[in-house]
Amino acid sequence: MKAAVLAILSLALTDPVRAQWLNYPTPGIPRTADGKPNLAAPTPRTADGKPDLTGVWNRISPKYDANITADLKPGDIPPWAQALVEKRKEDLGKDHMAAHCLPFGPEYSTAQRYVKIVQTPTLIVMLDEDLTYRQIFLDGRPLESDPQPAWMGYSVGHWDGDTLVVDSAGFNDKTWLDTQGHPHSEALHTTERYRRTDLGHLEMETTIQDPKVYAKPFTVAISSLLAPDTELLEAVCNENNKDLDHWVGRASDDEKSEVKVPRETLAKYAGTYVEQPKLWRTVARTIVITAEGDALFGDLDGRGKTRIRATSASNFVGIQGGVEFVVKDPKTAPTDLFVKHVSGNYRFARTK
Amino acid sequence: MKNVVMTLALAVTPLAAQWINHPTPGIPRTKDGKVNLSAPTPRTRDGKPDLSGTWSAPGFSTKYLENLAADGVEVPMLPWAAALYKERLADAGKDRPSTRCLPHSVTDFDAHHMPKKVLQTSGEIAMLFESYHSFREIFIDGRELPKDLDPAWFGYSVGKWEGDTLVVNTVGINANTWLDDGGHPHTDALHVTERFRRPDFGHIEVQLTIDDPKAYSKPWTVKIPWEFLPDTELLDWVCENEKDAQHLVSK
Repeated sequence: MKAAVLAILSLALTDPVRAQWLNYPTPGIPRTADGKPNLAAPTPRTADGKPDLTGVWNRISPKYDANITADLKPGDIPPWAQALVEKRKEDLGKDHMAAHCLPFGPEYSTAQRYVKIVQTPTLIVMLDEDLTYRQIFLDGRPLESDPQPAWMGYSVGHWDGDTLVVDSAGFNDKTWLDTQGHPHSEALHTTERYRRTDLGHLEMETTIQDPKVYAKPFTVAISSLLAPDTELLEAVCNENNKDLDHWVGRASDDEKSEVKVPRETLAKYAGTYVEQPKLWRTVARTIVITAEGDALFGDLDGRGKTRIRATSASNFVGIQGGVEFVVKDPKTAPTDLFVKHVSGNYRFARTK
Repeated sequence: MKNVVMTLALAVTPLAAQWINHPTPGIPRTKDGKVNLSAPTPRTRDGKPDLSGTWSAPGFSTKYLENLAADGVEVPMLPWAAALYKERLADAGKDRPSTRCLPHSVTDFDAHHMPKKVLQTSGEIAMLFESYHSFREIFIDGRELPKDLDPAWFGYSVGKWEGDTLVVNTVGINANTWLDDGGHPHTDALHVTERFRRPDFGHIEVQLTIDDPKAYSKPWTVKIPWEFLPDTELLDWVCENEKDAQHLVSK
């Protein structure tokens, strides 16, 4: 548990510096009468009539950021890959790229992050707050057949009507596809399809093909919202990367300190809880609690069922900094739970 | 010392890359197919010079990266700055941020010999650097520099056109950065003015003025040449081993 909290702390330490131009009105975007950006205005277009994807985008990806395979069936992931994911979870993610100040590679297109897109007719660049960039060539060149593996891979794009189709290959196999640690090989080929449906929305579907790991290709759909009137913040990882010294412990440490809670109590905890209020988030977080015999599970934002273990009758660890059920009357089901985090406790109300 | 530095350099050498012989489309060429460096300056739709392209120091010379004032410009250092600069030279730059995989900044990337790509739109200029795989943004949409600054590795940059010269003002560069690899220091009072001119297809001249009254008794100015780099791409250069610095010893 302690280790998990430290891990979360470490991530908090790499938060970007408070920056400037955070409230600078983005010039040239359509606004409503009250001066707010008109997010439903038509898709902006370039001089040559293509949709213009330029802007700062807030990618909403709580599910696939954690687990890119969230929609797959257990049999779709080979046992060796599943074992690797379990090991990475057990190690509390200490070998994730973020912990070593290394680029995210293919995860840049699905992770819950801000991205700035700068578009020209022959080249699109995607800028990340960690100061790495990705280039997508639109000048008609094909992908090379036998590319030297690289952190960011190689990307080419073309327009299919109003959809930008980006093919990428040539990634090295040092990166993970998500924070849980689903692996990929150098054979990874991704196809992203971007559609800016109006001023404020960018829809993306990416198909992941990696026959050396996943028997069949799979596709995830992720929306991004325009982040108007702001700019990227600079987040330089190596500036404060002393975290690894403190990244100790194992996920299974929680097992050793587990407290036995009666089955009937666990059964009362089962239900769906939605964050109240949703705070700054665009979509409120949801946690689904299920009980199976003596075990309790939580699934935060569809990332997958995770075993949570009791440290007291109402406190459990295994998700974020822990989950606490608000038990007012032991005979009835709780109406609320708290998801704990270094920044405080977040209240989720039971909806079913 | 040299051996240690060599080892460090090798550890971060990019992989052999792709598209390194891909002909850059749409650039002027002479009859023999080579890039025509003296062709006219390309221009954007609104008639401004277009600085876009891939650039490097001519002949990949590290001259200005090592010392911005390599041409013999007088650098009016205040005594503390002169003492620190001397110490950094004696230490062979072992405390340079880049030895710990931290970014270069504005002036040392201007001087950097390795390739950089400039992408110009009507609202901003993005500079992508091969080394350290990092980038910098210059806003040319008319905004002013922010007043209440939180220092950042690349500071805050705005540019405007004066005729055919792009004048870029930058403030808010965090004082951990060095002006060059030799170690010319600066403080949080640093104000950098860059004047970019593309007199023909193949060349950009960058005139840099360093104004930092806390470190220099008066502003000083240097000129740095860039040359167009055709038929290649930036390589995937990632600083993968920030532990190297511990082994970088000198004296």
